[in-house]
Parts: sequence; C-alpha cells; structure tokens
Amino acid sequence: MRDTLLTQITTNLAGSNVKVSSELPFNNGGEVLYMKNKKHFYLDAEQEAREEFIKCLDKNDVEQTTTTLNGYLTVDAKNQPGDISNVVASILSANSVITNTIDNSAGVTTEIENDAITYTFEFNFITII
Amino acid sequence: MAVINVSAGSEAVLELSPVGDIDTPANVLTVPQMQDITINNSTGVFRFKTLDNTAESAVTTPATNQLSLNVVVDEDSFFGNATLTANGAVIETGLFGVSTSKTKVTFRAYFNGTDSGSKYLEGAGFISGLSPTVNMDAPVWISPVTIEVDGDFAEGTEA
Repeated sequence: MRDTLLTQITTNLAGSNVKVSSELPFNNGGEVLYMKNKKHFYLDAEQEAREEFIKCLDKNDVEQTTTTLNGYLTVDAKNQPGDISNVVASILSANSVITNTIDNSAGVTTEIENDAITYTFEFNFITII
Repeated sequence: MAVINVSAGSEAVLELSPVGDIDTPANVLTVPQMQDITINNSTGVFRFKTLDNTAESAVTTPATNQLSLNVVVDEDSFFGNATLTANGAVIETGLFGVSTSKTKVTFRAYFNGTDSGSKYLEGAGFISGLSPTVNMDAPVWISPVTIEVDGDFAEGTEA
C-alpha cells in the first residue's frame, strides 16, 4: 500500500517544487530527514490495526483493517513554495489510488517550529477481510 | 446437568442438503458465518370457555416449527456453485436458489458442534425470508434466513 501511494504522490508532484523521497522519515544525527531536507516529502511505514467487525458462531469472524500512513513535508515558513497549495492538494488526492476500501480518507495538519512549517499528512484506509 | 455453550469446536452448526441427503457429506452445505440461530417449536393452542368452568380450557393444535438465523452473505453458500451439478440443489444453487425454486431441503441444526455425541434437531422445510441488506455503516451483506419446517423436528445424536 505504501509503494502504491508513494508512486501516485510522485506522479502527482511531478513538475512541482517538492520532491518525493522513497526513504522512511528516520532520524539522522538527531534530526528527522524531513526537517533536514526541506521541500522533500517523506512517507512513513504503514501502521495496521485489526478489529472484529462481525462476530460469527463458527469463529470465522469478519475483520476490519485500518491502515494508516503518515507523510511529512517541511518547507520554509516565511518563503513557502509558490505552488504549496497545489502540492498539498496533490498529496491529499493521491489517496484515491488505493481501491477496495470501505473508507478512504486523508487529512493534513501543520506545525511551525522556528522558521519551518511542517505539513503532516494522515492517510486512513479501511478494508474488510 | 450440562450447559451447552458456544466455544471453538462446540458451536451451533446448521447443515442443509437435498431431502434425504443429509448423511452424504458431498451434498451437504454447512451454512458459514452464522451470526445467530433460533429454533422455534411453537405448539398451537385452542382455548375455549364453558359455562361450568371458571377458567378457560385448552387443547393443543399442530405446532409451528421454524428455524431463523442471520448470516453474513457468502457468495458460494448464497448463490451456489453452478459447476457442482452432481452435488444436489443446495450446493449447486445455494440458499437463494433453493428459496426461489421452493425446493424442500433437509436441515440438521447442531447445538454443540458436529463431533460424535453432539445433539441435533433434524427436519425438512423450505428456505424463506431471505432479505440481504447492506449499507455504508455496515458495509457487509447480511441476510436473515428462515426455514419453514414441514412437519416435526426429530432429535438426534451424532454417531
């Protein structure tokens, strides 16, 4: 799921001022990569939660799986890229590439630290198995 | 005294087959993913009053027997497998098929699994009451199923 989403985000951001990294947003020398490499989008690993959706007598229960992926993008707060609105919209709209879900949502929050603004994206995909 | 509970390997199981085929495993559909099952054996009663009695009298009339359950709709069990023509109508056409064709089926409802010694009620009847439903708050097809029993239940113990 991460690979599919990352590929779609890469396609959507082609020609924009933001590059997409396939690396995970790990710490490097005490600093997370997206803070260090501004104008680079990072997508974290999948987080998966399973819960019982329908309980059945034969124990063949129907389960609901919620897959969450977080993405990060940091840019200069004062001089944001001119196309930042399009970049954010393009990242959010990439969620439609994931199919066979019963619920598919994406959202973004921002946080300013010193001279940098970090966009934190959250993608949620709910499937039934 | 022993409580019959629902636990792994000791759960309620419903088997369906063409009439008289319930002991032929290849022709038997074990209904998967039942949410609940209710067995109704409702004896009919005719009540009457007489002038010389201060209370009503009652006589029994034939019972109404019925099984009702709710299932998660499974494609094979609901619509059948058209390639398995040799395995009888239940396997071939599924719950929906035998309901629409009004084909009588034999059922066996186990109370505590299908192991040797397990108790069951057996009979024959017609599938009815299918009403599959789905919505965005419950996005999995679920359907009630009723078996209108023709005649009596017969109690049995798995050999």
